[in-house]
Amino acid sequence: MIQDLLNSSPGWANFGIFFLLGTVLLLVVLGFVTYGILAERKVMGYMQLRHGPNQVGGKWGLLQTVADVLKLLLKEDVIPKMADRPLFILAPVIAFAPAFMVLATIPFTDKFQFADIGVGLLYYIAVSGITTIGVVTGGWASNNKYALLGGMRAAAQMISYEIPLVRSVLGIILLTGSLNLNDIVHAQRHGWFILWQPIAFIVFFIASIAELNRTPFDLPEAESEIVAGYHVEYSGFRWAFFMLAEYVYLFAMAALITTLFLGGWMSPLAALNFIPGAVWFALKFSVVIFVYIWIRVALPRMRADHLMEFGWKVLLPVALANIFLTALIKSIFHIF
Amino acid sequence: MTFSGEFFAFMSLALVAVIGGVLLLNLTKVMHMIIALVFTFISIAGIYVLLSAEFVAVVQILIYAGAITILMLFAIMLTKHDDASEAQGTIWRKLLLLLGVIGFAFAVYIGIYNFNVEQLPSHLHENNVLQIGKALYTKHVIPFELTSVLLLVALVGAIILAKNDEKEAHKE
Repeated sequence: MIQDLLNSSPGWANFGIFFLLGTVLLLVVLGFVTYGILAERKVMGYMQLRHGPNQVGGKWGLLQTVADVLKLLLKEDVIPKMADRPLFILAPVIAFAPAFMVLATIPFTDKFQFADIGVGLLYYIAVSGITTIGVVTGGWASNNKYALLGGMRAAAQMISYEIPLVRSVLGIILLTGSLNLNDIVHAQRHGWFILWQPIAFIVFFIASIAELNRTPFDLPEAESEIVAGYHVEYSGFRWAFFMLAEYVYLFAMAALITTLFLGGWMSPLAALNFIPGAVWFALKFSVVIFVYIWIRVALPRMRADHLMEFGWKVLLPVALANIFLTALIKSIFHIF
Repeated sequence: MTFSGEFFAFMSLALVAVIGGVLLLNLTKVMHMIIALVFTFISIAGIYVLLSAEFVAVVQILIYAGAITILMLFAIMLTKHDDASEAQGTIWRKLLLLLGVIGFAFAVYIGIYNFNVEQLPSHLHENNVLQIGKALYTKHVIPFELTSVLLLVALVGAIILAKNDEKEAHKE
């Protein structure tokens, strides 16, 4: 369906259809964010032997996040007097826009993908780097030392962990011979890359948690050290934009891990082919999200210098060794 | 001239790139300049996409909009991050500059307007990652390796400079 649309001649009808599809995806993602936050709070609650939200919207607290978002939208929009006004307003936009842009290349099923570009994987990594600029800008524009510290930490962390993230994926690219996410999914017919590339998976997973600024690595917004980091001066819907960017990245990263390591929309056994690809994708995706939440509850925050040392002295050499090993295996055994 | 979608896309991207460049020169605060520069980088990447050079476009975003901008931000934060430049020069100097700019624009316009570009059928847009990879590792392999040696030398040099600083600080 999308393939035909992409190949058809451009025109207003075409533009309208894509605009509509984009809006639908945005609504789906917002729905995910709403219930992803609820799921996170519920899972965290049960793991810490409490109930989590259970007042608004029945026993499961189904309307809790909706109420929270409404509260955020109704809050007063405060811009500090000494803040750099234009940058303060622009920063949440720069932080959020790339989060939604990266979703374009992810193949959700064999037919549902917005852009089947040759360099899909590289596109994801490149565009997600722009968010860092938004975060640093927000931290600087707030004119607050905690915000500035948080912004600098975010920049340092994202730059150092982006390198092992890309290096770990190189093993997959070597085996597939393509940067296209569709080709990568098709290359997993005979076995998921989590089995062929276990080292890459571990490195990628750790680096992705750091890229998402989630708990063992949430130094940019460490509450106990720098209040709330780069968004300490933000309130209302501007703050909501930063949070939204964070959770949309959670969605995107979980979808990327599903695509790269868990075989995307493909079923694990040929006998189970009758179940549609979208269901498989959703199942694998949910497992990845659960593991992210699990790790967040289970581990304490790292110290800033440990974080940098771990990134440069452990993850990077391991990722390099993995590339070397993969190239060796590929050229000796001629698999793939 | 036809008003196709490509034309609109090119025009808007080019406009953003030019506006970003002008703002970079005209803004006074360093942070604002960098954000303007980011917009220029990203719209240039968009123009590469229009030319179906998607690999170059993505690398442009990755290296320029991502890494180099962050590096500049770091450099600014570690030095004088509140610095603002002041306008300088007399009215005569500005007038002469304006004349020079107009003359240059006129010369370039004449040079480009009647320049006949031969349209060759090319396959460069198909699988351009593969083609770049092949060209780099066969035809241009020696310059490629030399570049990596150069980068290594720069890296080692940076480490040595940083080490020396530490020693002197200890002495003092």
